[in-house]
Amino acid sequence: MGGCDCSKAKAELEEFLHDELRHEDATDIREHMDGCEDCLTEHRVGVVLMETVKRACRETAPDQLRAEVLNRIRAEQSTH
Amino acid sequence: MAITLASDRPTTATRLSRTRTTLSEPQSPVTPVRLDWRAMTTDEPHAAPADLVDQTEAQLDAVEDEEAALDGDDLAAADDTDDAAGETDVETDLEVAEPVDAKTVSESELRHLFEDQALPFMDQLYGAAMRMTRNPADASDLVQETFVKAFAAFRQFRQGTNLKAWLYRILTNTFINTYRKNQRNPYQGTIDELEDWQLGGAESVTQSISARSAEADAIDHLPSSAVKDALQAIPEDFRMAVYFADVEGFSYQEIADIMKTPVGTVMSRLHRGRRLLRGLLADHARETGVVPDAASTATMRGRGRGASTREAAPATTRSTRTTRKDA
Repeated sequence: MGGCDCSKAKAELEEFLHDELRHEDATDIREHMDGCEDCLTEHRVGVVLMETVKRACRETAPDQLRAEVLNRIRAEQSTH
Repeated sequence: MAITLASDRPTTATRLSRTRTTLSEPQSPVTPVRLDWRAMTTDEPHAAPADLVDQTEAQLDAVEDEEAALDGDDLAAADDTDDAAGETDVETDLEVAEPVDAKTVSESELRHLFEDQALPFMDQLYGAAMRMTRNPADASDLVQETFVKAFAAFRQFRQGTNLKAWLYRILTNTFINTYRKNQRNPYQGTIDELEDWQLGGAESVTQSISARSAEADAIDHLPSSAVKDALQAIPEDFRMAVYFADVEGFSYQEIADIMKTPVGTVMSRLHRGRRLLRGLLADHARETGVVPDAASTATMRGRGRGASTREAAPATTRSTRTTRKDA
């Protein structure tokens, strides 16, 4: 099935990006983007935004926190 | 043992198809159901369809009760109105299907189980806590409280269901009860009701393809500090929706469970948060000269600088995205 124009694609790009569309709807968007540079570019911005946020938010918990959590849990258990 | 799955039960949201549920690591004697779920796109080692989400939901509610008891708060009372559907049959399934669970193990076995299963999420929870509290000391305290509460409630956690979402919900509840209570945030409770033009954000549809392509390149090259600053500049509920979706890869339904809000609100917060973020990042890129001039003039128009600046940008575009809540 086809039937995907720019307005439908643009309206659903966020859900497409977040993998929330039904298989058929996602296929429609994918097919539409194959022939539409405008929507493809819009999608690319969305992907880059997601990847950029993901990369920037990577954190490692401090060792001290790890040790404190273990201590608290072991202390909790001994009081039970 | 087996976890029975009502495989043909309709998903709760008809428009939304993804059903990503993270199962915890297998621990003897628990053997999680392994499913080759067609729609599964996660990189998590174990995943299962949406049926488990309801089970998780029930457990999360149980934890809230537990938390309420621990805190002397009644946080659980008011917010269970949105998850009534479809739980009754799950409950009956569980009675026959529940494997050996944390209720029957000894204290020390329970602790080992907890350390093996829950503690590996510490980095991720700390990352979320940093975005919530904005500083390492408070983030550490928040994560510590989260694990203590989770451990206290761990006997109620049903093995084989979504431990990650369970932990995030405890984190979120703890944050709200411990930190947000002390804040006087004028936006709390009203932020979802603001119109798009009040929020500002990127007017991407008015830009040319080449301008948006340059925008993508520019955003891609921004330093992490700039991205984190921009995240801190957007309203908290938007920020956390973006974090849960884009960083943690939670499904809309899982975010709805964690934030205790309807899926439509999750979508609205996510779309708006991402749009604000995009505007701020493109601005930043332009100001620091990362983005070529050809793009900068186009990217500037109609852009707000987060909710604190109530710039009356025309809301002529993108409205279709935020109104698509009929899922």
